[in-house]
Amino acid sequence: MVKIQRLVLPLIFLFPGALCAESVPNNSATDVIKLIDDMEELYRGDASKAEITMRVETPYYKRSMKMESINLGTEKAFIRILSPKKERGVSTLKIDKEMWNYLPKINKVIKVPPSLMMGSWMGSDFTNDDLVKQTTLTEEYNLELAETDDTYIIDLTPRAQTVTVWGRIEYTISKADRIPLSQGFYDDKGDLIRSLVFKDPKMFQGRLIPSVMEMIPLNKEGHKTVIVYDALDFSPSGVNDSIFSLRNLRKRF
Amino acid sequence: MLMWKLAFRNIFRQRRRSILTALSMTGGYVLCVLSFSMTEGSYSNVIKIFTEDHTGDIQIHSEDYLTRPKIHKNIDDNAAVERVLNQSEFVRSYTKRVFSPGLAYAGNESTPVKIVGVDPDLESNTSRLADKVKQGVYFNNQPNDDGYFKAMIGVRAATSLQLNIGDELILISQGADGSIANDIYIIGAIVGSRSSWDSSTVYLPLNSAHDFLTLHGKSHQYALALNDSADVIAATQSIQAQLPAFSVSPWMVVEETFYKTMQADKEGNLFGLFIIVFIVFIGVLNTVLMSVLERTHEFGVLKAIGSRPATITVMILLETTLLAFLSVVVGILLAIPIIYWFANVGIAMPEPVDVGGIAFQHMKGEFSLQVFLLPMLFILSFAIVVAILPGIRAARVLPTEAMRG
Repeated sequence: MVKIQRLVLPLIFLFPGALCAESVPNNSATDVIKLIDDMEELYRGDASKAEITMRVETPYYKRSMKMESINLGTEKAFIRILSPKKERGVSTLKIDKEMWNYLPKINKVIKVPPSLMMGSWMGSDFTNDDLVKQTTLTEEYNLELAETDDTYIIDLTPRAQTVTVWGRIEYTISKADRIPLSQGFYDDKGDLIRSLVFKDPKMFQGRLIPSVMEMIPLNKEGHKTVIVYDALDFSPSGVNDSIFSLRNLRKRF
Repeated sequence: MLMWKLAFRNIFRQRRRSILTALSMTGGYVLCVLSFSMTEGSYSNVIKIFTEDHTGDIQIHSEDYLTRPKIHKNIDDNAAVERVLNQSEFVRSYTKRVFSPGLAYAGNESTPVKIVGVDPDLESNTSRLADKVKQGVYFNNQPNDDGYFKAMIGVRAATSLQLNIGDELILISQGADGSIANDIYIIGAIVGSRSSWDSSTVYLPLNSAHDFLTLHGKSHQYALALNDSADVIAATQSIQAQLPAFSVSPWMVVEETFYKTMQADKEGNLFGLFIIVFIVFIGVLNTVLMSVLERTHEFGVLKAIGSRPATITVMILLETTLLAFLSVVVGILLAIPIIYWFANVGIAMPEPVDVGGIAFQHMKGEFSLQVFLLPMLFILSFAIVVAILPGIRAARVLPTEAMRG
């Protein structure tokens, strides 16, 4: 689960800039590694700032949160919940592979321990791990490219030494727009376990990016997490290293 | 009537032998009563402890919360449940609770705890929580001037967090809506002892626990104390019929493991008694066989003058049963003072045993009708069984052969 999701979140959630795929080579059919590498290079774009709405749906509750996400490179991310009021100010800091949550009500920073990495992030269908891990898909997976008239379909199968829960990932990219369309995560038996769908492409500062992502865990009936990008700024002012510090995490706001 | 007279006379023909036989049966009976009283007594004691301490006689949950607790399996219609409980003739009092696992912090220490939200007033009427406060004072529903609620904590958790009365306790858990539940509480009391079942529990006032876990006033459990615990099954059925949407469970279901262990232990105990009585009755069988053998001549005469074989069998049965009954009567007279003392004073234990924070000084028996009746049935039925074989033998005697011998 771990390594694949690296694709998911870095892609969309933390590094939305990466989604625009201008530099994907046109003749990518011949070089699938380069296709993915190029996309990952793009994800490692400069800083960005996004306003996001996350909706979590389960059979037992529905919940909606607005949050602000600031990213610098692939290594650093800072997410702060703006609403609802009860959770306002709850923040997550990610530096490399480490992660901390800050809870303002009790004024406490809690490091997310390895044992909780597979736990849900803020009650959503994304795990903490989705936020932390970096993608090394090209190193840890064998890639196979197929093409239809308007999509690239990349089939990722883990290499023998790769530690993962997935038996296969199917990654679909739109040829025309150069944006991801969907990712399907399969288990060893070939059953689809998680499906991430990219929807509603919108222009953000001249870049076409899917503004809605739907994560549907197929093994949990009735569960769904939807992330909507309300605003996306690729040249945010004042984003520097000092934001990504425990001191800033602790700052009341 | 003649049969009774005959049987009675026959018993006293061999007085010494009858008395010895009766003594062995009396001994067996007293032994049974004692052992029975002790098991029943100690088990009713334990049951009383945990039903009064926290489980209550009956619990109400939503769905299968009892076996598979999930924070969202809560009782969403408090009004309906409370209406039924208030009207029920069985229910003395009830309390409602919420549960969640959590992490507690204080200073630099942290420890996993069980978070239990209880209504302070309802709880003190239903369980022993208020009596278990060892330090500090029992909490209430009101926040203090700074807006913090009081919490009560078990001894083990308090020790590992190095908490004292008035200290700040930070709790983190997961809310019912998936959010991170987090809040600060002030320690108002330390409850129980190190060996209490709730030594790693943090008690919160119910209203605050509802907010903390985003449960919007819904609870996981109603625990009921009955006017008479003996009505538990009838009360369960009555309440379940009125609340078909929820699961109503008696303590036998709530504490299923204990209940099954207890049943198994009681069965084992019964088997032990069975063996003792069996041995006693091998002796009795010998006596009866002897007396039948001695009287072969008489039986021959009886049959010759027209007694039916069944009459002879019944007479032997009657003799043995009568003897057994007399032994039991003597046994009861002997056992009453012993059991009475046992139930009221009990055996003082060299060291008090601490059960769930309550110290036990004495091991006590039970003084009840069934403690005397059950072993009595045991002895009487054995007497009948044992007498059947010699009875049949006596009935089969051929008059000619018997009288010739």
